[in-house]
Amino acid sequence: MEERTIAELPWLAPIGVLVLTAMLAVILALFVARGRQGRVGAFVAGGHLLAAGLAVWVWLDLGPSEVMEGTVMMDGLGLAMVAVLGVAGAVGVAMARPVVAGTDREGEFYALLTAATLASAVLVVAADIALISMALGMLSLTSFVLTGYLRRSARGNEASLKYYIYGSVSGAAMVYGFSWWFGLTGETSLAGIGERLPEAPTAALVGSTALVVLGLGYKAALVPFHFWTPDVYDGAPLPVAAYLSVLPKIAGLVALARVLPAALPDDAAGWSVAIAAIAAATMTLGNLAALRQRNVVRLLAYSSIAQSGYLLMGVAALPGSDQGLPALVYYVIAYAVTNLAAFAVVLAVQRERGSVDVSAFAGLGARHPWWTVALVLSLLSLVGIPPLGGFVGKLEVFTAAIDAGQAWLAVVAVINTVISLFYYLRVIAPTVLQAEDEAPISPVRRSLPLGGALAATAVATIAVGVVAEPLLRLAEAATMLGG
Amino acid sequence: MPWLTLAVAIPGFGALAAALLPARHTRAPSWVAFGAATLSLLSLLVTLVRFDAGEGMQLVEEAVWIPSIDVAWRLGVAGLSLPLALMTAVLFLPAIGYGVGPRPLTRAAAALLLLLESASLAFFLAQDFFLFYVAFDVTLVAMYFLIALWGEANRRYAALKFFLYTLIGSLPVLLGIIVLFLESDPATFDMIRLAREQPLAGAGAGASLTFLAFFVGFAIKTPIVPFHTWLPAAHVEAPTAGSVLLAGVLLKLGTYGLVRVNLQMMPDAFAQYALPIALLGLVSVIFGALVALAQRDLKRLIAYTSINHMGYVVIAVAAAAAPGISASARELALDGAVLQMVAHGVVTSALFFVAGFVLTRAHTRDLDELSGLMGPMPVYGTLAAVAMFASLGLPGLAQFPAELQIFLGTFDVYPGIAAVALLGLVVTAALFLLALQRAFLGETGAPWRGLPDLGRRELWALVPLIVLTVALGVYPRLALDLISAGSWLLP
Repeated sequence: MEERTIAELPWLAPIGVLVLTAMLAVILALFVARGRQGRVGAFVAGGHLLAAGLAVWVWLDLGPSEVMEGTVMMDGLGLAMVAVLGVAGAVGVAMARPVVAGTDREGEFYALLTAATLASAVLVVAADIALISMALGMLSLTSFVLTGYLRRSARGNEASLKYYIYGSVSGAAMVYGFSWWFGLTGETSLAGIGERLPEAPTAALVGSTALVVLGLGYKAALVPFHFWTPDVYDGAPLPVAAYLSVLPKIAGLVALARVLPAALPDDAAGWSVAIAAIAAATMTLGNLAALRQRNVVRLLAYSSIAQSGYLLMGVAALPGSDQGLPALVYYVIAYAVTNLAAFAVVLAVQRERGSVDVSAFAGLGARHPWWTVALVLSLLSLVGIPPLGGFVGKLEVFTAAIDAGQAWLAVVAVINTVISLFYYLRVIAPTVLQAEDEAPISPVRRSLPLGGALAATAVATIAVGVVAEPLLRLAEAATMLGG
Repeated sequence: MPWLTLAVAIPGFGALAAALLPARHTRAPSWVAFGAATLSLLSLLVTLVRFDAGEGMQLVEEAVWIPSIDVAWRLGVAGLSLPLALMTAVLFLPAIGYGVGPRPLTRAAAALLLLLESASLAFFLAQDFFLFYVAFDVTLVAMYFLIALWGEANRRYAALKFFLYTLIGSLPVLLGIIVLFLESDPATFDMIRLAREQPLAGAGAGASLTFLAFFVGFAIKTPIVPFHTWLPAAHVEAPTAGSVLLAGVLLKLGTYGLVRVNLQMMPDAFAQYALPIALLGLVSVIFGALVALAQRDLKRLIAYTSINHMGYVVIAVAAAAAPGISASARELALDGAVLQMVAHGVVTSALFFVAGFVLTRAHTRDLDELSGLMGPMPVYGTLAAVAMFASLGLPGLAQFPAELQIFLGTFDVYPGIAAVALLGLVVTAALFLLALQRAFLGETGAPWRGLPDLGRRELWALVPLIVLTVALGVYPRLALDLISAGSWLLP
């Protein structure tokens, strides 16, 4: 058995690299001088990118495989998502550098970020409820600490505490649900659960599944488990908010995409309808709540709740259509680059103007035309204007929904898209249509990592849409092993 | 040589080039914009020479784009799209020449105008639904910025209303496209194949819903009453060249869609809904004319007449779809509809220039305040009069042959509707004659005595359109030979 475990290690290379990066980052942070902690950041970013590269290598060279006795599925879906998480995490590190530079725990911050990425990566490949619980717990703990990183900020402490309490309860609920699954089936692997769970008594089945969805849905900011999102994004340092809007969300959604079809095969107990209803509620609430926001960070928080709803459409379509999974994968990639681009611009504006109110964006077009282009592109992509990445993503999930017989969900999504245009335009309009406020602008040093992250994500937002073919092929190939 | 791709791509790349120009070359954006528009028109003229009227879809250019979902860069021309594309390319020249915003044309204005041109041409020439939809939405974005940046006092509200309303329209179109994609076998976005294979043949519930989804989307764009409420605000608040392009080009996106998608791809479903749609067209005709009659603002008046004129197109298209229409009447109706689209584009663009010129000189467009403008500005007055006569359908000018054919065709199957629509002509005549009389004839009011007549830039914008108006009116075969609806209609 040891031989087999060792033989399987190459498949775990991406995960292993993240583990090593996290551990070495802590040690590196101890030895590197105070003012040079940026090197830890560079090391961590490099580790992320290496993990992403190794995921691609494993996929192409070794081929997908289930490892660790079926508890870890290094399949197309998992490897593709690990690659996305690695790149997104590296972008997150780049965005964080100007904010945490010079703070007293900078090195540990990067290590924690890596640990969060590691937990997300495990969540997207885990096929065993014990492993999922562990990964979720690790992701939660690291997220809470990252949120409260700026210890002197009252809002940050409040956000972190809210996240901690809410997250602990949700995580505990999920573990409780899993314990019922174990009790009903005697198995911890998803495949094994899938064989016995549909025969369980309906009340137990529905109740425990609801708890599981609660736990994973809270990470993905689904309604009605979304309440933490605006406060946490608002109170956490902005790069952390950007990070949280992408990595844990992807992890939660992909985990749902694995868990539900595996544990309840052939749409047992009709879970796709329930997920579709949650998707509809999530996108609607997110969009409606964003309409009143003048704080752009809270606006983006509600926007990302709504985007979770669109992403969940892909999960809801899984039993009914084989377009569901490729749609989810594609939209995840498009959403990741687009959301990071939007946050990057907001971070740049916050550093210069000191505020994230809509009024801080007035006249941005005149002063920083490239930032404005990036902002317009990313927000229009979130609306779904072609030929940007968000449009192709929406096209894919709408197609999957209609193909799965959930045309009503596509109609709800369409209505929501129109609603969302209203508040995205509220951010875009002042940048080009208004003159700058007279408030003095604090002279802030240009940040190379932030500028690079902004440029890269903005270009990716267009590229993902126009050069959609390679990503669509990748999404089609990103299949799940074991159901 | 991929002439069609050049026609679309040159303005597109021109937009990019204009945006990246260094700020100190103040005249460069105008040259880039005008040059790109001219080259685009030349490519289309070459296409015209190569086009064989009466032979259906031809000169198709295809390049693989996203094979996984069978999306290709596919452009082609037929009797429906080539006249509209030519009209678009022609209309952009005076619009760019006249310009939007501060003179000389800024980089942003040049880029947005060229982007709009590229997207509009792509829309008419597209034979792939993905490209079709991309073009549709990009025109929205470009026009939003054109209105919001350089429009009049209430521009932000009008631009937002325009964007939201027409986006509400474009999304059902997206859903319809997805349904057509899923229903076709093998799944494709190829419009030529979809028109030929008609996966939603028959008039089942699915076909009806999809038809209605497309219809709502295109009805908002056309616009058909009751989806028209975005139009007056958008037209009035847009800058002059913006209104010209909005009325001349963007409204045709809706009617083109009605013919290309609803009529050619779902004729059975259309036959079911032909009468209600014809009635909606009739309501647009009467409503547009009556409300225009009540307007004091010249630009608002012209905006409402657009609703009226597009109503005729809708009646004709619905009549062409009606069950029981004879082949010759159907041909007449569709010929008339497309000719009306082209004629309206030319005439209403001229009218919006007229309205723009009076605003820059007199600082008002209020018909109650203006009077006797013919005195100080005879050239302007004459050209304005010609444009107004054309718009009311005077024989010898562009819209008459179109409306004549529409009525001839519609009479075959909906004589009642045709008869009532004639009333619209009467009201339109009244409203334009009243406007002409109030603003141009009679005693010249004191504030208007010293107004200068048209300058060179304005003449270059207006005169070509008037010449085209007369040409199309006297010799409509210029366009009709090209359109020959008989060749691309279904049997």
